[in-house]
Amino acid sequence: MLRASNVTRSFGDERVFEDLSIDVETGEVLAVIGPSGVGKTTLLRLLALSREPDDGSVTFDGTDAWAVDEAERLSLRRRVGMVFQEASLFDAPVARNVEYGLRVRRSWSERLRGELRSVVGSNGTAEAVTEALDVVGLAEKTHEHAASLSGGEAQRVSFARALAYEPDVLLLDEPTSDLDPRNTAVIEEAIAEARSRDIGVVVATHDMHQAERVADRVAVLLDDRVTEVGPTERVFENPRDPRTRKFIDGELVY
Amino acid sequence: MPLEPTAQLLTALPSLLDLPFREGYVSSIVYVSLYVSLVAVALSTLVSIPVAVVLGLADFRGKGFVKSAINTGMGFPSVVVGLLVLFAVSNQGPLGSLNLVFTREAMIMSQFVLATPPITAISLAAVSGVDRGVRDAARVLGGTRVDAALVVLKEARYGIATAVLAGFGRAISEVGSVLIVGGNITSADGISKTRTLTTAIQLEARQGQYETAMVLGAVLVALVLVVNAVVVRFGDRGVQR
Repeated sequence: MLRASNVTRSFGDERVFEDLSIDVETGEVLAVIGPSGVGKTTLLRLLALSREPDDGSVTFDGTDAWAVDEAERLSLRRRVGMVFQEASLFDAPVARNVEYGLRVRRSWSERLRGELRSVVGSNGTAEAVTEALDVVGLAEKTHEHAASLSGGEAQRVSFARALAYEPDVLLLDEPTSDLDPRNTAVIEEAIAEARSRDIGVVVATHDMHQAERVADRVAVLLDDRVTEVGPTERVFENPRDPRTRKFIDGELVY
Repeated sequence: MPLEPTAQLLTALPSLLDLPFREGYVSSIVYVSLYVSLVAVALSTLVSIPVAVVLGLADFRGKGFVKSAINTGMGFPSVVVGLLVLFAVSNQGPLGSLNLVFTREAMIMSQFVLATPPITAISLAAVSGVDRGVRDAARVLGGTRVDAALVVLKEARYGIATAVLAGFGRAISEVGSVLIVGGNITSADGISKTRTLTTAIQLEARQGQYETAMVLGAVLVALVLVVNAVVVRFGDRGVQR
C-alpha cells in the first residue's frame, strides 16, 4: 500500500540512508528497529510524505507522491497518521486535540459552522472523538485540558488524535520510549486494535522486545541501509545477515 | 524650590474633587489619548502579527536583517520618529497634500511607527517559542501550511496578547512624538483636539497648574495600571498552561 523505493536522504553532506526500500500493507504491523540516530525518524517522515527523498520514490497505492501536485499530495498525506516520541498536544482540551484531524479535513465554511455549533453543544465530532479515546482507555478525559494530563496519558491522547480520522497508515515514532509499562501496554493494545481495523502500522523502535510483541514483520535498519526484512519470528530466530544477528544478540554496540 | 509644588498640592487637596476644569476638558483629553493609541495599536497589530508569523515560521534570505531592523526599531528615539513624521506630513513632505500637520491622524502615524517594532518583536518571540513538535503535529495530522500557522498563533496567543498590550503601554505614555506632530492643541472652548494626557501633563506642569497635572497623571497611571493588570493576568495564564 505505502512503499518507499530506493530512497536516499541526506542532511547537508551527511547521508542518513541510501537506496533504502520498505513497504507496509493493509492490516499489518511493521517494526523498524535499529539503534538511535540511524534515521528511523527520517524514514518515517518520508513515509508521512512530509519530506521529499533526495532520490527514489514514495508511492501510495501506486501513485508517486512527489510526482503529483500539492493538492493531490495533501489528499495522500491525509490518509496517513503519525505519532511522535513526544505527545506534542495542542494547548486545548483533549476533545479539541483529538478532533483536530477531522476539523482540518473540512472546508472553511464547514469549520466555521462547526465552531458556531460547538458553542451551543456539539459540532458533530463527539462520536469519533469518544470512539478514538476509547481505544486508548481515556474516554473519561474528553473534557480535561491537555496540560493536566500525565506524560503517559498525553501520549495516549496523541495516539487517539492520529486514529480519530481513520487513516489507512499509522506511523509511530518510538511511541513508548518515555512511557511506564502500564502506558506502554495500553499503546501496544491500541496498535493491535489499529491492525484489526485494517490499518497498516509502522512502528519505529529501538526496543526489540516490543518489536517481537507487536510486529508481523521486522525491518532492521543498520548504518544507512536495511540489513534485513522479514517475518518477525524468522528475523529474530534466524537472521540471515551477520550484522543483524550481532545487533539482535546485543553484540553490535553503537 | 522643589518642595513648592508639593506644598501647593497639599493646600489644594480639599478642593481636588471640584477642580475648576472647563467642562469636557479632561474627558476630551482622555478620549484623544485613547483614540490615538487604540487606533495606532490596532493598525500595528494588523501588520505585526503576520510579519511575526512569517519571520517565525519561514526561512528566507535577509531574515536576520529584518529581525535586527525590528530590534533597532524598538530602541528608536520617539522624538526622532515625531520629527520624521512631521517632515513627511509637512507641506513640502511626500504626504503634504493630505494636510495632516497637527492632526490626530499624524499622531496615529507616529504612534504606529513607535508601537509596531515592540509588538512585532514580542510576538515573534512568542511565535518562535512555540514547540516545533506542535507545528509538525498539525502538518502530519493533515493540516495545510495555513492550518499549521493558525495552530502556532493559537499556541502563542498569550505572548501575542502581551505584545499588543505592551505596544499600547508604549503608545499611551508617549510624549515627545505626539507633541511634535500633534502640537498639543485645544479648541477655543478648551476641548482637546490633539492634546493627550501626556502632553497635557507636560503643559500644565510647566504652567504651574500642578493640581490639574496631578489629576491627569492619576488618570494616566490608572489607565496604565489597568493595562498592566490585564498583561499580568494573561501572562499568568500563559505560565499555567
